[in-house]
Amino acid sequence: MAMSSAGAGSETSALIARIAAGDRDAFSRFYDLLAPTAFGLIRRVLRDPEAAAEVLQEVFWQVWREAPQYDPKRGSPEAWLVMRAKTRAIDRLRSIRRRDRTFVAPVDESVARSSEEPAENPAVVAEDRELVHTALAQLPEPQRRVIEMAFFEGLTQSEIAIRLREPLGTVKTRARLGLERLRGALRGERVSAT
Amino acid sequence: MNREEIGELAAAYALGGLDGADRTRFEVLLRTGDPEALAALRDFEGTLADLAAAAPETPPPAVKAALMERIAAPRAPAGPPPRRGRAIWPAVLSGAMAAGLAAIVVGWSVSSTYEKRLDALASDAEQLKAELRSQQTVIAILRDPATQVVALAGQAPAPTARARMMWHEKAGGVFVATGLPAAPAGTVYQLWAIAGTNAPVSAGVFSVDASGTGSLSVQPLPGVATVNAFAVTLEPAGGLPAPSGAMYLLGKS
Repeated sequence: MAMSSAGAGSETSALIARIAAGDRDAFSRFYDLLAPTAFGLIRRVLRDPEAAAEVLQEVFWQVWREAPQYDPKRGSPEAWLVMRAKTRAIDRLRSIRRRDRTFVAPVDESVARSSEEPAENPAVVAEDRELVHTALAQLPEPQRRVIEMAFFEGLTQSEIAIRLREPLGTVKTRARLGLERLRGALRGERVSAT
Repeated sequence: MNREEIGELAAAYALGGLDGADRTRFEVLLRTGDPEALAALRDFEGTLADLAAAAPETPPPAVKAALMERIAAPRAPAGPPPRRGRAIWPAVLSGAMAAGLAAIVVGWSVSSTYEKRLDALASDAEQLKAELRSQQTVIAILRDPATQVVALAGQAPAPTARARMMWHEKAGGVFVATGLPAAPAGTVYQLWAIAGTNAPVSAGVFSVDASGTGSLSVQPLPGVATVNAFAVTLEPAGGLPAPSGAMYLLGKS
């Protein structure tokens, strides 16, 4: 799997094993390395900073409690964490939407907040960020829309199909092609052999 | 299922947008350890992790402070889970809350009525979704040719009872019984899977409703491959590790 860098990937794997054994320093380091990634994603889903901070705390609390269940065969610690952050953020977004549907204007306007904001975490290599942005920006608009609506807005494929007035099959294909292209772009740049 | 189709399911699953029967199909694949499904999911989740890593944002320092305080307590794996949630917020927000409280109280009595209604609707929806998911699991299991269907017949205590077990060695199964008498207080029905000459393995406990119908969703049983028979006995509440009570239903595959 293409990770941000091989060194960071193996460090987080070692950290998660130590967290599983109850090592608080390892947890602190793991947080420092990955909280900005998780928070960036959560904030993009939930614009409310207070709700985002609460979700971030829940996600890392889950890391502390569930580290013993982490299975390296299922993916990297980064992916493990990001999937948890996404799920929790979207759960929160749905509960906010339920309320807002009645009391406040719907939260449906473009959620595509600028992801071009400069990173505040020096640990993240600027070049890597550029790579992902280029890859995402290079996706054909329909594929990018489907990925953004699912990943950042928490819509299911049926909901996306209804909203875009496209057949469900089209939405499915776009999601797959979009992710494959994204992955190909990231991998192609990093592993010159492919 | 071809590679492209697995890719589509994996993409949607990683993105979080997989619903309905597709979700059930993919979860059955993951549960049965399908290597293509697992590899595709790992791949896409890694890609999405990279995507998230591209837009980091520094979190407020209070979050880490609260977490470090929370984890300072010894981990208690056997005890009840520690309270989740809002540890830092009372302190951080107390000023703002005091100011906003008056306004909130006025709006609250109106909105709480609606909120309760919304919560009730949301919980109805969750319940319906859970029911739908369990029905979709039944359908997915029924569609798989590897699924065994075992009919169980009533035994001496309840000769008219009947049951069906739809059993898939890797995905688990669904059990439905009818015509059983209500279990006396402090007892439950317990379902057993019997493979060859091995001791019966518990597949879970269930109770029946007023009409004598009961059902049970059964997880795959570790170490149990082909099941030769299923049986139901009446056992003390909570069930036992080995059957002790009267047998109510028995069926051989």
